Amino acid sequence: MTVATVVAQLDVILDEAKSLSLTSKNARVVAIRAGESALGFKSITNFINEFSARTIRITNEINQHAHLLFKLALNQLRATQFFDHISTSLDKNSDAQAATTLNKLHQRAQVELQQSLSQLYLELQSLSAQFEEIDQQMRAAEYIAVTSRVEASQAGEYCASLESVSDYISSAAKRIKQAISTNMNTLSELERIIK
Amino acid sequence: MKSATLFEGKHHRWVVFGRDESKPDKIVDTNQYMILTHEQCFLMDPGGIELFSAMLAGVLSYVELEKVTTLFASHQDPDIISSLGLWDKTIPKAKLYAPWLWEEFIRHFGMENIEYMPIKDEGMELRFDSINLQFVPAHYLHSSGNFNVYDPQAKILMSGDIGAALESHDTPMFVENFADQVSKMQFFHQRWMPSNRAKKNWVARVKELDIDIMAPQHGSIFKGEAVQEFLEWFDNLDVGLAR
Repeated sequence: MTVATVVAQLDVILDEAKSLSLTSKNARVVAIRAGESALGFKSITNFINEFSARTIRITNEINQHAHLLFKLALNQLRATQFFDHISTSLDKNSDAQAATTLNKLHQRAQVELQQSLSQLYLELQSLSAQFEEIDQQMRAAEYIAVTSRVEASQAGEYCASLESVSDYISSAAKRIKQAISTNMNTLSELERIIK
Repeated sequence: MKSATLFEGKHHRWVVFGRDESKPDKIVDTNQYMILTHEQCFLMDPGGIELFSAMLAGVLSYVELEKVTTLFASHQDPDIISSLGLWDKTIPKAKLYAPWLWEEFIRHFGMENIEYMPIKDEGMELRFDSINLQFVPAHYLHSSGNFNVYDPQAKILMSGDIGAALESHDTPMFVENFADQVSKMQFFHQRWMPSNRAKKNWVARVKELDIDIMAPQHGSIFKGEAVQEFLEWFDNLDVGLAR
C-alpha cells in the first residue's frame, strides 16, 4: 500500500535526523576542545543542531498525521468498494422499484466517494508541504557541510575529526533527501490518481 | 443469485438466497436468510463482501430498503458477515444481533453506523415486529460464540454451520436423499465442529423444538423427516477429528 510506503520512509528520516542531532552535539564538544582554531566550526554545530531538531519536529508531526492518513485511505477504499458494489447491484437488478432505491444509493455512494477523495487529496497535499520543508532543511545541511569542511581544515590536530563530521552531515542529508524524494514521488503519484 | 420462499404465514415470510452463479469460483457458496414482516426485514448471516451486490439486488426485489432494520450474524466468519462494512453504509440505522464474544472482532469488517446488539451466551428472545424469534446457543458448533435462530411460528431453525455441506452452486435447494447428503456433510462436521460435548448438548436442546425446516448456511436445506434424520446422524457422529 502506497500510504504504508510513505510512513515507512518516515522512520528513515527520523533515524537520520536523530543521528545528525547527536553528531552536532559531539562535534560541538570536539570544537570546544580545539579552541580558537575551531571557533567557526563551533558556531556551525548550532546550525546543525537547529535543522536536525526542526527535521525531527516535522517528522514527528507527520507521524502523528500518519494515523489520519491511514484512516482517510481506508475511508476512501471503503467508499470505492461501496460505490463499485452499488454499481454492480444496479447492473444485476431488473426490478423497477428497486432501481429507484439503488439509484439513490448510487448517488449517495458517489458523493461519499468524492468527499473521501477530497479529504485524502488535501491530506496528501499537506504532507507534501511538510516533506518540502524538510527538503529545504536538507539543502541547507548540504551547504553547511561544505562550509564546515573549510572550517574543519583550519582546526589543526582536530582537522580529521571535524572533517568526518562534515562528511557525515553531507551523507545523512543525502539519505534524508533520498527518502523525501521517494515519498514526494509516491505522494504525487497518489495525488495524480486521486485527481 | 437465486431465492426461494421457505415459509409464508399470516404475519411473516421466510426467504432464502443462495446458489449465486456469479460468485467467484474459489469462495464457498452460502445461504442467506431473510424474514419479512409487514413492517420490517431481518437478514440472517447476510454473507461475504463478494456477495453484497447480488444480495442487495435480491433483497430489494422483495422489500423497500427502509424496512431492512435488523441483521444477525451467527458468528464471526467472513462468509457470514464480511459484507458488514457495505451494509453499514447502506442501512446505517440498522441493528446487528451477534454473539457478545465477537463484537470487537466483527467490528474489523467496518461498522461505524450500525448498532451492535450483543447476544449473551445463554441466548435471548427477540420480538421482531409481530413475531417472536429465539437466539439458540450453538457454541463450539463451530465457533466458540455461536447462535442459531429459531422461529416457533414458522417452525424453522436457521442452524448456521450445523447441517452445512460444501456443495456446488447448482445443488438442489432441499435435501432430496439424506443418505446421499451424509457424504457431503461428514468431513465438514468432523473437521469444523470441535466438541462432542457441545454437539450432544445442542442436539438434546434442539430435539425439544418443533422443527419443520432446518436451514444451514451452506448446502441443501432439511425439511420434514430429514430434520430428525440429521439430528440422529449428528448425535452419533464423532466430531473434532483431523485426518
